[in-house]
Amino acid sequence: MDVWAQLANGFAVALTAQNLMWALVGVTLGTAVGVLPGVGPAVTVALLLPITTKVDASGALIMFAGIYYGAMYGGSTTSILLNTPGESATIVTAMEGNQMAKRGRAGPALATSAIGSFVAGTIATVGLTFLSPLVVELGLKFGPPEYFALMIVAFTTVSSVLGDSTLRGMAGLFLGLAIGLVGIDNQTGQARFSYGVPQLLDGIEVVTIAVGLFAVGETIYFASKMNQVQEKLEEVSGSIWMKWDDWKRSWKPWLRGTVIGFPFGSIPAGGAEIPTFLSYAIERKLAKDPEEFGHGAIEGVAGPEAANNASSTGAMVPLLTLGLPTSATAAILLSAFQQYGLQPGPLLFEANPALVWGLIASFYVGNVMLLVLNLPMVGLWVKLLAIPKPQLYAGILVFATMGVYGMRQSPFDVFLLYAVGLVGFLMRRYGFPAAPVIVGMILGPLAEEQMRRALAISQGDPMIFLNHPLSASLLAVAVAVVVVPGLWRHFGPRRKAG
Amino acid sequence: MAQRRPKGQIALSAGIFALGVLVLVGAADLPAGGGYAQVGPGVVPRIVGAGLVLLGAMLLREALTGGYRGVDEDAELHLPMDWTAFAWVSGGILAYGFLVERAGFLIASTLLFVAVARGFASRRWLSNALVGLAVAAFIFAVFNYALGLQLPAGVLKGILP
Repeated sequence: MDVWAQLANGFAVALTAQNLMWALVGVTLGTAVGVLPGVGPAVTVALLLPITTKVDASGALIMFAGIYYGAMYGGSTTSILLNTPGESATIVTAMEGNQMAKRGRAGPALATSAIGSFVAGTIATVGLTFLSPLVVELGLKFGPPEYFALMIVAFTTVSSVLGDSTLRGMAGLFLGLAIGLVGIDNQTGQARFSYGVPQLLDGIEVVTIAVGLFAVGETIYFASKMNQVQEKLEEVSGSIWMKWDDWKRSWKPWLRGTVIGFPFGSIPAGGAEIPTFLSYAIERKLAKDPEEFGHGAIEGVAGPEAANNASSTGAMVPLLTLGLPTSATAAILLSAFQQYGLQPGPLLFEANPALVWGLIASFYVGNVMLLVLNLPMVGLWVKLLAIPKPQLYAGILVFATMGVYGMRQSPFDVFLLYAVGLVGFLMRRYGFPAAPVIVGMILGPLAEEQMRRALAISQGDPMIFLNHPLSASLLAVAVAVVVVPGLWRHFGPRRKAG
Repeated sequence: MAQRRPKGQIALSAGIFALGVLVLVGAADLPAGGGYAQVGPGVVPRIVGAGLVLLGAMLLREALTGGYRGVDEDAELHLPMDWTAFAWVSGGILAYGFLVERAGFLIASTLLFVAVARGFASRRWLSNALVGLAVAAFIFAVFNYALGLQLPAGVLKGILP
């Protein structure tokens, strides 16, 4: 069947009343948690994983995906008005958009980021629609060695691209891999690292880790280190609509941002940071008045926001077609698939086309909903930012503990949550990225499975990974990702001192 | 740049090293061979443990030679650690773990809410307790009456509908 027919079938799934409702719930929740500091899409999807026992797969996944890309829209609102980037990919927006807000141009800044996100999200979904079948074709030819090598590439890019130190990123990744080892080995039934504790035999739930690292760790960090820091919320004064001049200055950065962002997302290179910074740099180069950058240039909001959204939609390509997550939220989406016994990858496109294409079609629908939610209704979300921090974080923790305790009604999980929260606090304090932990713990067991499958084929000969040209080249890429930045620092052109 | 030895970084690096040793020790009991694949359940744990040991050692080297790269430790030290806040948040979560089944979800959640808010320096005890109770009651009602899941009622068992 060709793409158009598949997509039409997908829309038939996405446009049922029930799935429209799930999409609306997802993007609304996503916008809310994107706006609120202290809670993000990863925690939200993790806390909602238990609904997979009550809701059918397409409804739940449409909602989870809505949270994932809805949070991108909401996050930019907070960056612009509060200058505290909710996530690293919105650092640039926080710089430039907050400068616009300080100069009374909060409205146009919010508008260009919402419309830019819509343009980029929609074009990137078109990209996802047409690229996915091609990657699926390719993926069907892959065997266990190739999958193993691809996962190693995802591991290395996630840990060295996110955050500013390869070493600390790799430490986070290995911590995640170690967590993923706990529990019963699914190939031999052997219990690993459970130390006789029955609660550990089932493995450590991703909910506990995600909520512990992101919600509890953040709360402890902010309470004990950042509460003295004052933040100023900029007001949205004047019209929120863009003037003709704003449109003229925005549309090219939107398109350029999309073109930069989508490829970065769709190769398993992880992270929307690089494309946003690249887009910012390019817009500054191309601007008539580069001096305005840093003082509220609308191009510096429009481009990076588009790049951010395009790259996060692009990240759905490796997730859906190969089962490779490149961010914490994508990894938790992968575990949502697993709750239904589904494994994203080329086979899912053959076995369950209605689900996959329904999900892809829901991206088109969700982006339209988000445009409405974030333009005319932006005032509503701004009100969320007025919740005082003590009550906000207190409320977040009540939901977080409830989710973790309620999962299997075990106080043990609450204490484990606190321990993970302490680790999250230390990681935050000492500059370790948290995303590699999540990706490591979810993708680790899958990589182990592929590795052991590959070695079963070769009867234990590890050369199988190097004899297959594709897996050998992928492993070479992985090594390069880890080694090259270090070599570059040693032998590359010296940076200017200071 | 000469500076004080970053004690926290050194301790954390040593902790990662120790975790690696722990994983290696645990892996020693797991069979590495056997089966078709000649790769038993012990192989990947050995790789992960060795990786943690290596990374811990490399981080320790960074910490001892000028601190972690790309981290502004001085700026971090300028933000003093507020141990009172830390204790309130920690105490709130631990008390929740002890109380959620003994005293019940509503009481444990309300106490957690008040404790975390106090961690963020809010001393409006009564209004925080009321807001916390309202949030907890909302969750309790949704779960126990609408979704049919059971959050523990605890000591309020006879009183709640």
